[in-house]
Amino acid sequence: MNPSTLAVILVVFAITALLYVGYSTVSKKLQTSKDNSRSFQIEPLDVEAFRNLVDPAEREYLRRRLPAPEFREVQRQRLRAMADYVHVAARNAAILVSIAQAALSSSDPRTVETARHLIDNAMLVRRNAFYALFRINVALAWPNSGLAAAPILHGYERLNGSAMLLGRLQNPAVPVRISAM
Amino acid sequence: MTPQAHSLLWDYLWLAPHILALALVGVLLRREFRRHYPIFCTYLLFAGVEGLCLFALDVSPKVDPVAWWQALWVGTVIEGILKFAVIGELLHRQLRSWPSIAKLGRNLVSGAGVLLVFLAAVAAAFSAHDNAPWYIGSIHVLFQTIYFAAAGLILSLFVLAAWLHIPWERQGYGIAFGAGLVWCEHLAMWALVAGGILRNSPWIDIANMATYHVSVLIWSYYLLTSERKSLPKDDSRHRHDDSYDPPNSGPSSGEPDDHEETLNDWNRELERLIHQ
Repeated sequence: MNPSTLAVILVVFAITALLYVGYSTVSKKLQTSKDNSRSFQIEPLDVEAFRNLVDPAEREYLRRRLPAPEFREVQRQRLRAMADYVHVAARNAAILVSIAQAALSSSDPRTVETARHLIDNAMLVRRNAFYALFRINVALAWPNSGLAAAPILHGYERLNGSAMLLGRLQNPAVPVRISAM
Repeated sequence: MTPQAHSLLWDYLWLAPHILALALVGVLLRREFRRHYPIFCTYLLFAGVEGLCLFALDVSPKVDPVAWWQALWVGTVIEGILKFAVIGELLHRQLRSWPSIAKLGRNLVSGAGVLLVFLAAVAAAFSAHDNAPWYIGSIHVLFQTIYFAAAGLILSLFVLAAWLHIPWERQGYGIAFGAGLVWCEHLAMWALVAGGILRNSPWIDIANMATYHVSVLIWSYYLLTSERKSLPKDDSRHRHDDSYDPPNSGPSSGEPDDHEETLNDWNRELERLIHQ
């Protein structure tokens, strides 16, 4: 490779990295200023419907009842719906991190501890969502394979508890709900 | 107008950030900060002392130029090791409070580190030939290698934090921001030098020294000023007051007991799912 070309590539990398660092600083400042209204952006998730989607028994039932091509098509639709749910769960988790992050600077130790717990759970959900989406995408290519999305459900359930506790500590009248009734 | 070596601007940009950095270390050593970020304090101290020693060696007529380059080599290697240790310290501080993602975060940044070292070695192998003595040409490549890996690792910390929404501590963020700024700029400059595009230009040193100066100011701002604590909420908001009208009242958003019941229902359903 020509040394000049390599130098240009490295300069472009450096400028991109610099812009990203600058952008993250600006977005961090902007995010802090609008944290108070973020709880309204949470989209409640119907965990019951999600549970049905990831239920292996449900999948087995469909496999037995439907012809193979039809089962694959139905299973793909179920997987796409599952992916939508996981996206919502991950986005809710991100919003909760922002809300809890603002609560970290509270003067009440119990609120701070709850906020920490909520952030940890929310990040676990985001991590599990990443794994779940990876598996869902693999399963989309091969719908006959099994799929375990339980970790994301488990994480979301813990997140729900932490979010409600933090909401209760910060403002008992306005709870934070991330699951639909 | 081309700046001259050891002009007033040159001397200011060489000395001022190092003096400021040493003053900053002096203040930080009196605070709790030194226990939280001991490696960064060591790095700042070493960089400050190294910068002033190199200046003294540069202006001293008794010092052989080769000795100056040797000192620069030793300083660069030690400072390079400290830079990577600072990144490790930042990563540790960033992940230590969040056990759920600590392992994943460490693995991702370690993986990025391995990839960056490999790419830096490839970039070094393809750098342009330099007619200058080996200890001058090689140190440009060494600078490029160190700053490529360091800038890449700092970038990986920012990407990791953004992806998983990991909250930054104010001080850790300030250190990472300042380091990201100066290391990325240094990478761009030394890549141009090692690639043979820009050589023997005083603008390189001016740009590098000015950027380091800005970084030290950023560190001073983030490390010496504290974050505003949110005020305790008004007691009337903590009380469960029936007269308060919640702005986001959903189908059952009122009573905490109601939420507890819902939560228990969810727990039962999900536990059953997980263990099936």
